[in-house]
Amino acid sequence: MMAISLIIMVPIVTGIILLIIPERVRYIKSFASLFVSVLSAFWAWQIFSAEPLTYVFIIPDFPLLGEELSLALQSLGLYLHFRVDALSQLTIIFTGLFAPLVSLYAIGSTGKEGRFSNFESYFLITLGLAFATLMTNNLLLFIFLWGALALTIYKLIPSKDSSSSAAAKKTLIMIGASDGIMIAGIAILYSLTGSFNISEISVETNSAITYFAFFALIAGSFTKAGAFPFHSWVPDFTKEAPSVSSAYLPAALDKLLGIYFLVRICHDLFIMTDIVRLIIIVAGIISIIIAVMMALIQHDYKKVLGFHAISQVGYMVLGIGLGNVVGLAAGLFHMINNAVFKSGLFFISGNIKKMTGKAKLDQLGGLWTKMPVTFLCGMVFALSISGIPPFNGYVSKSMIYQGIIDFGSSGTGMANNLWMLWLGLAVLGSALTLVNFIKLVGSAFFGKVPGNLIKTRETKPIMWLPSAILAIICLFTGVFAKSWVMPNIIFSATGTFETYSIWYTTFATVVLGIFIYLVLATGGIRKIVMIIRAKEKFYFGNIFSAKVLYNTLRNASVLSKVFEMANNGMFDIYHILRKSVFFINKRLSLMHDGILQTYLSWVIAGLIILLIFL
Amino acid sequence: MDGWIIVLFFVIPLFGAFVMPVTYLFSSDSPKFITPVITFVLLILSLYSFVYQPEQIAYIIGGWKPVGDVPIAIYLVYDGLSGFMLVIINLIAFFSSVYAINYMEEYTGQKYFYVLMCLMIAGMNGVVLAGDLFNLFVFTEIAAKSSYALVAFGVKKDELEASFKYQVLGGMANLIILFGIAMIYWQTQTLNMADISYMLQNVENNIFPVFIQLILITGFGVKAALIPFHAWLPDAHSSAPSPISAMLSGVLIKTLGVYVIMRLFFNVFPVNESVSIVLIALGGLSMIIGVLLAVGAWDLKRMLAYSSISHVGYIIAGLGIGMIMLARGENQFVATLAFTGSLFHLANHAVFKGLLFLNAGAIEYAANTRDMKQMGGLAKFMPITLTSSFSASMSISGLPPFSGFFSKLIIILAAVIAGFYLIAGLAVVAGIITLAYFVKFQKYAFYNKPSVSSSIKEVPNLMRMSMISLAILCLLMSVLILPEIREVFLNPAVNTLMETTDYADKILGR
Repeated sequence: MMAISLIIMVPIVTGIILLIIPERVRYIKSFASLFVSVLSAFWAWQIFSAEPLTYVFIIPDFPLLGEELSLALQSLGLYLHFRVDALSQLTIIFTGLFAPLVSLYAIGSTGKEGRFSNFESYFLITLGLAFATLMTNNLLLFIFLWGALALTIYKLIPSKDSSSSAAAKKTLIMIGASDGIMIAGIAILYSLTGSFNISEISVETNSAITYFAFFALIAGSFTKAGAFPFHSWVPDFTKEAPSVSSAYLPAALDKLLGIYFLVRICHDLFIMTDIVRLIIIVAGIISIIIAVMMALIQHDYKKVLGFHAISQVGYMVLGIGLGNVVGLAAGLFHMINNAVFKSGLFFISGNIKKMTGKAKLDQLGGLWTKMPVTFLCGMVFALSISGIPPFNGYVSKSMIYQGIIDFGSSGTGMANNLWMLWLGLAVLGSALTLVNFIKLVGSAFFGKVPGNLIKTRETKPIMWLPSAILAIICLFTGVFAKSWVMPNIIFSATGTFETYSIWYTTFATVVLGIFIYLVLATGGIRKIVMIIRAKEKFYFGNIFSAKVLYNTLRNASVLSKVFEMANNGMFDIYHILRKSVFFINKRLSLMHDGILQTYLSWVIAGLIILLIFL
Repeated sequence: MDGWIIVLFFVIPLFGAFVMPVTYLFSSDSPKFITPVITFVLLILSLYSFVYQPEQIAYIIGGWKPVGDVPIAIYLVYDGLSGFMLVIINLIAFFSSVYAINYMEEYTGQKYFYVLMCLMIAGMNGVVLAGDLFNLFVFTEIAAKSSYALVAFGVKKDELEASFKYQVLGGMANLIILFGIAMIYWQTQTLNMADISYMLQNVENNIFPVFIQLILITGFGVKAALIPFHAWLPDAHSSAPSPISAMLSGVLIKTLGVYVIMRLFFNVFPVNESVSIVLIALGGLSMIIGVLLAVGAWDLKRMLAYSSISHVGYIIAGLGIGMIMLARGENQFVATLAFTGSLFHLANHAVFKGLLFLNAGAIEYAANTRDMKQMGGLAKFMPITLTSSFSASMSISGLPPFSGFFSKLIIILAAVIAGFYLIAGLAVVAGIITLAYFVKFQKYAFYNKPSVSSSIKEVPNLMRMSMISLAILCLLMSVLILPEIREVFLNPAVNTLMETTDYADKILGR
């Protein structure tokens, strides 16, 4: 099938060619990238509508290189095995959907929040690599592409100053590290099965070594998707990178890739046992809760969105970790929905940042009259992400709840018996998400307009168009979820089942969310009681002030300690490992005292130890 | 290929070294142009013989025939492994010497620099060709002595101290090596390596070869800078002028250390399980401690030097894994895989570490500092250094599509299949920390501060040329993973290690 080779090669080759074109003619670059992304969306559609197939890439003859070299290059074909099944098709079509939107947005956005030099090249190379990753059947090719994606994501944060280069560094180190760990996992899989082909591998997790292989691959998937405990690069990335990069990678593509691989691991490569399932579920739940808690105390709205990207991944991990059909479908559906509304939110944040120049929530306010389209889209995304009907987030979240309930009744393992706990925490996470988005939308769009933002205008149509399209998709996939989206897109990848809606989870989410928000926004429960008793006056205008919210949270005695620790990086695996490596380094460096006698004695000691060994 | 061509590999640089002081009298610029010519000729010669001479040949100097069964002449042996090493040595030597033309302009006494450099190249080429222990030792010393002088070339306090430490530890290593050689001679009454190989096969006492091997591991371990014999390296490699650092880290430790270990332990001594365990242990130790030392360094060249320790660890651990598979007579496929990974990594490390030292030199040349804290914002002024050091950094950290990814992959794969999970784990961890400090280098050198206008300029053309060529090699050497290309470039060397007794058989024709 031609489309498979084209969808990989054309973006990568165009991207490399665009690297050579000088920055002065950037419109040529922008339009080339838009053209190629539309083309690849078309090819993605072709692949999506075709039957599942396997495909071996055939390398043509290169008469110029001579016969021997040509043959040598053709031996590369050994590794270029592609397999397109329903899961790949599902992820490919959405990868294809985001490409034109992001490049459209990139044309419009300039300056600090928009494209930067060579954005198009790295954008297109990433696109081609992502398509290849989603289709490959060979684990070696997979790990190759995965690592190469780490390089392009590094290049998608322009390192301008100390903090942005630190974020770039952290991103590359974490994703590159996951690539290294995955090599070990894949090597173990190969030594167990003698094959690198995903379709031929199916290993039961029952021994230490298979556990290790499983978790090594999970580390790769979690890092990419941004799930606990490998999540910590996401907020830094979204804070420092331009919105167009954030909308493209951590919001959309990385979720698709990471969750795609998670499904491959959990459902193709391994057969999960109960304990493994429990660990995955716990990781999902922790991601949901801690990320949303961290989001509560952030001032920078792009960082808030970064934390939400982690929290939403928790739902997907949870759904897929359940291991039943409903959970899997819910996880995949939530992956798609999240990609849609999270990209949209990053587009919106880019618009706000561009038009106001402010990065902090407390500096914004009352923008709904100034930027009506942005506001409307933002509302839609906020309601979607919080799981309010009739938007798509509601459907996928309630499917996850359904999955948890089914899971509870289907087995007797420890994870199954705890289903109430999982359900409760998932609902709590959703409620806190609602709190966050009341805060986000409230403080940005409602309240009083700060004096220096009086002249703010709506952005150019080219910049709100992508988010408007995404908002329509949010509504469409929400309303027609059962009648069109599920049967046509999801069921082919997972299998069919009946969905039923669970009214009390949504109800609990809304009530709990609004209650928590009110408590925080007014300054604590005691304050509410005082207000009700009319002993204290309450300024209703303050209800959307982000400042009060932070203060309430910071002053809560138990939480403040935890937040302080979190801010110091105590829950950041990158930070912890960095600390311990430097600790060992200090000790080792002290041993190198520069005194010759010490060094000589090491040599002698080494020799003696070797001889004793003999 | 005629046998006499082999001799040219060290005759040309030796001749050059002694001619240059004479030509200097007529033109003070002559040495810096003669040296690149010499290294270029050597590079062409080594490539030519590598491609057209896949078989082993031995050249007997003076044509002295063996008396009875005893070979009495000086033997020079060229086989797959020697050819492989010669290509690497002369490749790095060529780019370093071209780079040195601009770089060394600031130094005084340039003629001595080029003389010493040629001597060092002659010594290294001699080591990989020597067919007997005596000449091996002599050539080792030629290379080592010139490197002592080159380390001290800056004649400042640090350089002299580093050189002094290097000399004392190197001298100690020589003593140990000489002791080992004497023991061999005592037991076998010969110094010809092929002959020793025969003699040792007949020795019934198994403990004796192992004893000598441990002595030799210590001696050559100092040269290869394995932990705990590494202490001289961080000082010496960071103090030398950058083109020399590139040579020292890129090829010298591999020629004097790793190559000799490979040659002696695979082709001369019978393959032995306990020795291979020692190699694996030392390799694993160097791998992890090397990176743990490097990660805290703020001196750029010192960081690169520490990282060399860890990468030699990778190579040695890979060799050890292959050796243990050979010794146990188990899965030969794993042994091939391990050797391929080791040799591939050896070649890769020569290229990317050579390039990184040249980058460090370029930064020092332009910004006049080696301290990463004082750099920053160089990306705008030094785009070529940025791009080339990025490809080298990503290659050394093992990220695709650069070549380092593949060699690391093969080594980890071999370790896992062979069942050495600990080594595989250490390799992964070391790889991650390597990535961490090379991204740190990228951050602190090129970004971090907003770039302000300053007088920093990109380095002169010849330095650029060397860096660009090596950066392209970092990418291009990935194709060595392809089976058809591996066949030509890596397999001759791997076969030398796999067919342990072939070496002696072919030379002595028995």
